[in-house]
Amino acid sequence: MRRYHLVVIGAGPAGLSAAIEAAKHGMKVGVFDENARPGGQLFKQIHKFFGSKEHKAKIRGFNIGNELLKEAEQLGVDVHLNSVVMGIYDPLHITVAEDDHITSYAGDNILVATGASENMIPFEGWTLPGVIGAGAAQTLMNLHGVKPGDNILMVGSGNVGLVVSFQLLQAGCHVKAIIDAAPRVGGYGVHAAKVARTGVPFYLSHTIVKAEGNEKVERVTIGQVDSHWQVIPGTEKEFDVDTICLAVGLSPMSQLTRIAGCKMVDRGGLVPETDEYGQTSVDGIFAAGDVAGIEEASSAMIGGRIAALAAAKRSGFVTEDEFETEYQNQHASLMKLRKGMFSHENKGRTDLVKTDEGYPLSMSLLKNGYIAEDEIGEYPGVGRTKKVGVHPVIECTQNIPCNPCQDACKFGCIEVGETITSLPVVKEGSKCVNCGMCVASCSGQAIFLVDEEAEEGFATITLPYEFLPLPEKGDKGTALDRSGKAICDAEVTQVRTSGAFDHTALLTMKVPAEMANRARFFQKREGVR
Amino acid sequence: MRIENHPIIDSYQKGKKVKFTYDGKEMEGYEGEPIAAALRAEGVMTHRYTKKLHQPRGIFCAIGRCTDCVMVVDGKPNTRTCVTMLKEGMVVETQYGVEARRTEA
Amino acid sequence: MAGICDRSKDIGPFVPQADDDLIICRCEEITKGEIRKAVHMGLWTMTEVKRMIRPGMGLCQGQTCSKNVKRIIAQELGVSPAELEESTARPPVRPLEMEVLGNEVEEL
Repeated sequence: MRRYHLVVIGAGPAGLSAAIEAAKHGMKVGVFDENARPGGQLFKQIHKFFGSKEHKAKIRGFNIGNELLKEAEQLGVDVHLNSVVMGIYDPLHITVAEDDHITSYAGDNILVATGASENMIPFEGWTLPGVIGAGAAQTLMNLHGVKPGDNILMVGSGNVGLVVSFQLLQAGCHVKAIIDAAPRVGGYGVHAAKVARTGVPFYLSHTIVKAEGNEKVERVTIGQVDSHWQVIPGTEKEFDVDTICLAVGLSPMSQLTRIAGCKMVDRGGLVPETDEYGQTSVDGIFAAGDVAGIEEASSAMIGGRIAALAAAKRSGFVTEDEFETEYQNQHASLMKLRKGMFSHENKGRTDLVKTDEGYPLSMSLLKNGYIAEDEIGEYPGVGRTKKVGVHPVIECTQNIPCNPCQDACKFGCIEVGETITSLPVVKEGSKCVNCGMCVASCSGQAIFLVDEEAEEGFATITLPYEFLPLPEKGDKGTALDRSGKAICDAEVTQVRTSGAFDHTALLTMKVPAEMANRARFFQKREGVR
Repeated sequence: MRIENHPIIDSYQKGKKVKFTYDGKEMEGYEGEPIAAALRAEGVMTHRYTKKLHQPRGIFCAIGRCTDCVMVVDGKPNTRTCVTMLKEGMVVETQYGVEARRTEA
Repeated sequence: MAGICDRSKDIGPFVPQADDDLIICRCEEITKGEIRKAVHMGLWTMTEVKRMIRPGMGLCQGQTCSKNVKRIIAQELGVSPAELEESTARPPVRPLEMEVLGNEVEEL
């Protein structure tokens, strides 16, 4: 039987990171994944990641996947694809179905990094073709280049629902609405805002009443829910859609740890009980990533590394001291991410009204997906004093773990500070050379370069633009406000693209001066979106 | 339904163009993409009809978990089309219950 | 998990609901009403319901429905879903042909 020092089940962000860390310390590692391609969900993530440099912030998910794969390959990690791990047996054996046969492998240590599966909610008509998981939409459009549908209703306003909605728009689909039974947008406000300003309406406290159609989805009815989640009669609305995307949460895919006899706990889905190093109740079996508790990819990568270090210590590949030092580094990195209003301990809280700094949270952002015009002046990235010339306006109003904007500005115009969940501050009196790096580096697409007095009676606004066809200089169209409402005529004065911007184009439009702080999106006249 | 140009993704990993049949009708797709992706690109929504209630089903999870997208592929029923890669000349058929042809209940 | 072991608890009669026709287990086409009725027949655990009326016994092995089945049983019993034990996890965790399962190869 082939033996590895570490058997990793799942080649997603946690599994690959663990494999890399273990191989770096001299362990022979075998990674098993049921899919034809490694990377887990990373290759479907086409947005720029949050965090700081050490968390690979502002790099798009699929590029992170490529980096991890390359590193694993260079370190001699065996990646077994199309290899379905059927079960874990005593003592630390796995059986794997590969092609037409079953093979057993032994591991000195086993790391379960099988990720999560999507939750699905039943409603009338939910078995009709056209009702799909949000992950299915991502798989079809981002991996295979096929649009899941033309007209889409997104169910769920968590980060998955918001990110996938934006990706659907990028693929050329129409997102008719985003609905959520909860009264507040669940995901990052910046993700909501970049969807809302293109004109996608948000319906919070709404659920699906039914989906209908002949052999496939053709129509959906939604309705507002009361405090007992019951639809209030008379609030129903109908949309003509061919696709309903469900993004209503994830559950850890923990069957293998249950088969292995690990002690399980219920944390919105069964997860193996682990210590801070990912060690389960069964000696030598570790868990990391979503299977150990749902978080995002950045935390999963660190969790994987920590579990690999613990396995390396267990098998004598690192000394106690080496382990302690490296663990502390990883732990510190993890703690930077686990802060702010979206952290574990604040998950699902609906009573927060202020940021950590004491700024009032935008209630409109939580209810409608965009910041109201009378709320925007409050934040430190926006600034209240009148500026001269081009300057950044940072509409980042929630404590999310992210700081690439700070590194992007070579002139120190933007400050986040040590705590990466702090709101970015645009420093008074600092210099802006209109380079656009902050706009392109903001993973939340929340930075605009504004010049209130670009010319007599007109202002210019530079915004991040990630859609095709790319408008050109001289194009005339309409400026949309944060809610996606058309507010005035606009003319494109510049479109900048650059390798350094990594596919984020910087579109500059000219609008009447009084629209400088309202106009946030450009729509070409023909109405192509 | 194919995305010709994408603002972020420069190219998709795909093999050469191949022909396959869907319920006897000739269709085109790319080698190495899931059968389900090729069918969706050709506008096919229904992959099977259920055994008990004879209701249509199609792609649901697209990652091999839910098994809703199973079809009869090269004579083999219950083939998950979302994780089975397309090959030249494949014979893909709608699945009725667990068979390729509708049988009267 | 102690509460649900007490089978003397009165959960009241089965009362039909408007959405009893809703399919919960997509593979085996088991409805919400069938699951609720099973609870009132005295099947109070995930395993019992699964063995008797088959939600989660289909091709996908409960990957899609188990959370929803659990919620329905819990609601009927008047307990929190966290109090219910999952049905047993067994290999193989993915659908597999018997031909493959029987073809074990020793790799060196």
